[in-house]
Amino acid sequence: MEVQKEAQRIMTLSVWKMYHSRMQRGGLRLHRSLQLSLVMRSARELYLSAKVETHEPEVPLPPARSPDPRLHPPREAEAAAKAAAPDGEPPSPEPMDTQEAPRIEETLAPCAPRPAKVSRKRRSSSLSDGGDPALVPSKKARLEEEEEEEGASSEVLDRLQPPPAQAEGAFPNLARVLQRRFSGLLNCSPAAAPTAPPACEAKPACRPADNMLNVLVRAVVAF
Amino acid sequence: MEEDIDTRKINNSFLRDHSYATEADIISTVEFNHTGELLATGDKGGRVVIFQREQESKNQVHRRGEYNVYSTFQSHEPEFDYLKSLEIEEKINKIRWLPQQNAAYFLLSTNDKTVKLWKVSERDKRPEGYNLKDEEGRLRDPATITSLRVPVLRPMDLMVEAAPRRVFANAHTYHINSISVNSDYETYMSADDLRINLWNFEITNQSFSILSWGPRTGWLERRVLSSFQPHQCRNLYLLSYPKHLLAWHHQQAQPRVFEEPEDPSNRSFFSEIISSISDVKFSHSGRYIMTRDYLTVKVWDLNMENRPIETYQVHDYLRSKLCSLYENDCIFDKFECVWNGSDSVIMTGSYNNFFRMFDRNTKRDVTLEASRENSKPRAILKPRKVCVGGKRRKDEISVDSLDFSKKILHTAWHPSENIIAVAATNNLYIFQDKVN
Repeated sequence: MEVQKEAQRIMTLSVWKMYHSRMQRGGLRLHRSLQLSLVMRSARELYLSAKVETHEPEVPLPPARSPDPRLHPPREAEAAAKAAAPDGEPPSPEPMDTQEAPRIEETLAPCAPRPAKVSRKRRSSSLSDGGDPALVPSKKARLEEEEEEEGASSEVLDRLQPPPAQAEGAFPNLARVLQRRFSGLLNCSPAAAPTAPPACEAKPACRPADNMLNVLVRAVVAF
Repeated sequence: MEEDIDTRKINNSFLRDHSYATEADIISTVEFNHTGELLATGDKGGRVVIFQREQESKNQVHRRGEYNVYSTFQSHEPEFDYLKSLEIEEKINKIRWLPQQNAAYFLLSTNDKTVKLWKVSERDKRPEGYNLKDEEGRLRDPATITSLRVPVLRPMDLMVEAAPRRVFANAHTYHINSISVNSDYETYMSADDLRINLWNFEITNQSFSILSWGPRTGWLERRVLSSFQPHQCRNLYLLSYPKHLLAWHHQQAQPRVFEEPEDPSNRSFFSEIISSISDVKFSHSGRYIMTRDYLTVKVWDLNMENRPIETYQVHDYLRSKLCSLYENDCIFDKFECVWNGSDSVIMTGSYNNFFRMFDRNTKRDVTLEASRENSKPRAILKPRKVCVGGKRRKDEISVDSLDFSKKILHTAWHPSENIIAVAATNNLYIFQDKVN
């Protein structure tokens, strides 16, 4: 469990660092970005394998980690999505294309009455037990409810902003959700400024399903 | 190894107004010239400061030549790449001196994208007695001139001028990490993460790419060039990659690969990062190579490629702290390493303004500190010790009290004497051997 928590923390930290390295003066540093993505991948692999061991295996997890995610994130996401789709469950949290989102919304509808616990299992690399909105955009609306449910038990959520009832509509700003998530998980990091950078807010609202991690991973690949 | 060291520090932050943040004063590179007479530093603000060693005078035998500011100039300014919407930092990544061929000094300085050739020259005379101009340079009315005179050169206070002679730009997509002058003194090479370019000093609009990895290359994390060093005498080029070194003789088709097998027992999330080579230096003799990774310094024999001949632990007590060092980004710090003139001692920096020296012959090592509180002029530096657990002795410092914001990344050793320059954030310390 400790290993899982540690892996999760490192994973979140790496993602955060990768995002922030875009903001720094001088642009992305290639070597550092590569090292960050390496750490993130190994942390994720460890987290996933630990998670598989602890939960009953209902569906074989897509082994899509091994193909180089830096070079093939969309393909990997599709493969992962397809693998999970037959169960009518939300697909793996790999970065997904925008067009995947509507399909997933549909599959999500039947899951709505199910308790949070079941959906947690489906999301194999969620960053916390409450599920990670950043990695599964279509779950945003649902996740707001889940976070409310778990409010009491998780120390992470102590630091969350007021309950997401204020979130506008079915697609609250992904960046804000991510910001809340990170601010909780990174409370121990001295160097981390938990508030998301202003660029988050500037993301155009016309792409609500845009996945920050998707953008991140693509940024790493694109240069 | 000489442990008693005469100290003298030069604080170059006086050159900048103290009222605003001095991040621009952070020294980013230090380099002696070939004779050791001049010492150049580059900082994050794009400035180059050159120190010159005083001529030793007969009167003051005990006062060894000290370094004083010789010239200061703004080498690079912040720029903006409009195409990529990226700011280009003005921080000086590397300075390389050209060998002196006439009265002027030439050096190359580079930031992330542009290399510049600077000429530093002295002027100690000025012409006086012009006919058509007065003393302030204003033109005289020709009608008022009744006689002619020959202008003469009169001595004036020494003025050191720096002028950019060449600007080599737009040849690197990634960030330039090394430059090195070739032995013909007509060409030089600049290296970024994935490419090495060959330039002729006279031609600024053209360069030859002699090595280039595309961004879609597989195993990219292994192919990122962290440093590039030629050895002039042997026509050998040394390329350091994260996990291995390549030594390439320009007449051979195949480079030699220096790589140490990984120790599987030490694997962690951060193994890749800490084993990544951050600096590589040829020894002066050309027989050995020194590499620096996050926790160790290794010496390799050019004739043995499968493992280093010596490994020195710089700060192994950090091995258990890698996670927090990852959090505060310190794990990405790129420390440099240097040889002394005779290749018998190697030096590298650490945290808390500590720097370490290893004597290869006696196998002794020492930790010293570059700080104002601990070094008065002419005081002898006291060795420091880090306590790794258990009882802490009086003078020791515990690992948890180390200040990770005070890091010594850049150091330089005089080519022939025991004089070292240590850059501690925005302060430059110059230490000399004690004169008995």
